[in-house]
Amino acid sequence: MEHSHEPMANVDFNTVYDAIVVGSGAAGGMATYVLAKHGLKVLLLEAGKKQDLTKELHSMQWPYDHPRRGEMPQSDHALNFNEYTFRKSPYAKGMNYNHVYSYVQNWGGSDYSKNIVVDEKDNPYSGTSYAWVRARLLGGKTAIWGRLALRLSDYDFKAASRDGFGMDWPISYKDIEPYYDKVDLFLGISGHKENLPWLPDSIFQRELKLNPADMLLRESLKKMDRTLTPYRAGVTTDGLKHNHYRSRCFGRGACNRHVGGCDIHAAFDSPTGVIYPAMDTGNVTLRTNATVYEVTVDPNTGKASGVSFIDSETKRTYKAKSKIVVLGASTLESARLLLLSKSRQHPNGLANSSNHVGHNFCEHIMGPGITGLVKDLVGKPRTLDDGHPGGFYVPRFRNLKTKNPKFIRGYGFEGGSGCTMIPGNAMSTPGFGAARKKKVRDEAGAFIDMGAFGEVLPRYENYVEIDPNIKDRWGIPVLKFNYKFGPNEKAMAKDMADSAQEMFEEAGIEIVSLNREILTEGWSIHELGTSRMGNDPKTSVLNQFQQAHDVPNLLVVDGSSHVNASCQNPTWTIMALAWRSCDHIADKLKKGEV
Amino acid sequence: MADDFKRRDLFRLTAGGLLVAGLGKAETPVFFTKDEYAAVDELMETIIPTDDHSPGAKAAGCAAYVDRQLAESFGDKEKHEWREGLKLLEARCQKKFDKNIAGITPHQRIELLEEVSKDEEHPKGPEEKFFNVLKGATAFAYYSSTIGIHKEINYKGNVYLQEFVGTAL
Ligand SMILES: Cc1cc2nc3c(=O)[nH]c(=O)nc-3n(C[C@H](O)[C@H](O)[C@H](O)COP(=O)(O)OP(=O)(O)OC[C@H]3O[C@@H](n4cnc5c(N)ncnc54)[C@H](O)[C@@H]3O)c2cc1C
Ligand code: SF4
Repeated sequence: MEHSHEPMANVDFNTVYDAIVVGSGAAGGMATYVLAKHGLKVLLLEAGKKQDLTKELHSMQWPYDHPRRGEMPQSDHALNFNEYTFRKSPYAKGMNYNHVYSYVQNWGGSDYSKNIVVDEKDNPYSGTSYAWVRARLLGGKTAIWGRLALRLSDYDFKAASRDGFGMDWPISYKDIEPYYDKVDLFLGISGHKENLPWLPDSIFQRELKLNPADMLLRESLKKMDRTLTPYRAGVTTDGLKHNHYRSRCFGRGACNRHVGGCDIHAAFDSPTGVIYPAMDTGNVTLRTNATVYEVTVDPNTGKASGVSFIDSETKRTYKAKSKIVVLGASTLESARLLLLSKSRQHPNGLANSSNHVGHNFCEHIMGPGITGLVKDLVGKPRTLDDGHPGGFYVPRFRNLKTKNPKFIRGYGFEGGSGCTMIPGNAMSTPGFGAARKKKVRDEAGAFIDMGAFGEVLPRYENYVEIDPNIKDRWGIPVLKFNYKFGPNEKAMAKDMADSAQEMFEEAGIEIVSLNREILTEGWSIHELGTSRMGNDPKTSVLNQFQQAHDVPNLLVVDGSSHVNASCQNPTWTIMALAWRSCDHIADKLKKGEV
Repeated sequence: MADDFKRRDLFRLTAGGLLVAGLGKAETPVFFTKDEYAAVDELMETIIPTDDHSPGAKAAGCAAYVDRQLAESFGDKEKHEWREGLKLLEARCQKKFDKNIAGITPHQRIELLEEVSKDEEHPKGPEEKFFNVLKGATAFAYYSSTIGIHKEINYKGNVYLQEFVGTAL
């Protein structure tokens, strides 16, 4: 049955809900869905607004139909690479712009997501350089995510056993596999089976096709025992019989423009993918503009009793009560919330008797990448090359069968080729005049490029803490970063560039540019690990079901629970784990064991 | 399918083209002076000229677009950069050809721009820096226009596809 999907302003604050879920992105959205399906009464609290994504994204709008061709007003500003390194955080401090946004706004077409990403002026943070991209709205970052949807494997879950660094996850692939399957079937995913033990296949819908340059590289990589596979997209390419809020994919390529986002919701976003279906059970109360600033505890038992939140618009504060509290505010925001929730029983912050909350912070390192030109494609008649939600993926190949002497773990490449709406070479080709014009036109469809994402090791000394001196717009103390790439990452980054060069040379692709520079910490938007799972309460925050060791009725279901970053993008794993944990806690609740 | 494409392209071209032409010719510039506008229009056409494949920057309304952007939204820094940059180029042109930019021949304009674009990657001095600004603005305005996207690049995407295009594995 279909229920209203509108948020409610007047939540019943006398009710003790079965569960309060904080945050409505991939993690909180999935938790809400699973708990509601189990018949539990859920209060979903989201700091941002509900946005009309169709209106915001304008997926199919041509640049010339926008008054500024997609660019945001000059009175606003998006931070760039240099500013993250040369300026000191809080980055917006002292800037004269009306709004200051993170670097993602620079991805051509920034006017389309200005209401989606946060304004740094309202949401400052301090400490070491970090490009922290946040989206505060119903659905969180899933409104604009890149959709590369990958599984992890025991090469990740048991990485510590393989190379001696860090700690194994308290689960193995076989524990999570059924939940990956559930996520695949419920949300839809596109991909091609490759039978790689380190990148397990999903249950795929209709796969994407490859452009000629992709095929050239794929064939050449085979000889090097490496794989190029069509983008594994968290997109329903066949449609979903059980979800009428989402269309199947029509290859419009819009999700690769305007920062991203798909206004017919073929690409997964949390509202249409999980939250509306959850609300249709009739078990969910949604309150938006609700920024949670504390998880409250029962003074007698020390268990979670609910949350306190502030209305983002009126600034009025409220308290809501529940049997269990589920945090899905995103890796760093959930850590912030735990650290802010100090009480007599939990003087260090909630669930933090181990002193591990905020620590072992990890992510992916980016920067090294390559652009090449396929000579045979120069001057060929134009073809449609970008009618898909993604190009290709080159899975990890390091430290699998052999050991690299310089670094542990691995990296993969995301890439694409062919002509786009405004080809990159239209801006970058040197010179001017008729010859340049022809060169741009002739070469526009002949480029191929790829960039690497590598695993950053989880290290205790990389952490976030509360900065008591700086507050956000709502008076809530902000995070201070103490986070730097280490020698393993730097050695890996060097190898990324070397191997990219080797692969293009081997394929006979002319190298146009090779980037060896590392991007600022945070660039991958894959922050993870700040409340890791583990079997030992002394060295971990959560158990294998994402329950806090110290507070069994508190779950943290976002990427903060991840024990290491792997080099595979995290979102599909976040959702599979959330599903597994919520099944578990629902069962416990029914048995009265929480 | 192919015919469908063409029809749609044609429609887009006429609709967008009229709009742009209207801005470029009938309306008076809002930020640039008349003389500045004439110079920018010619410089942009020098950077992306009409050829036998497609119309150039003039027809695509590039100067009109930049004029409007500068008037409406660019910051003071950009406004200053354009005013001063154009002054320098005009001065160079007067000295070399004894005429203003709009008054010299297309070939002379090529000569003029060659002088200030020797090393685009490492521009030296304000004129070379301004060349990069001018060229960047021209390229963006042109390749995001109806003519740039549909005629020059002949871009095929941004359409609904029943099937993906490319090689199936
Ligand atoms: C441009 C971009 C590209 C990306 N590409 C990929 C990709 O290709 N593959 C991939 O796997 N991942 C990708 N990601 C990352 C992906 O979006 C995240 O992994 C995923 O969204 C994380 O889900 P989450 O629920 O933990 O956090 P979010 O999606 O960020 O959701 C958190 C929600 O919690 C809310 N919230 C925060 N604090 C509070 C509070 N105190 N009270 C109440 N609510 C709160 C926020 O408003 C937000 O709605 C990308 C992200 C971006 C931005
Ligand atoms: S290519 Fe598919 S996923 Fe991307 S915008 Fe188009 S319909 Fe949506």
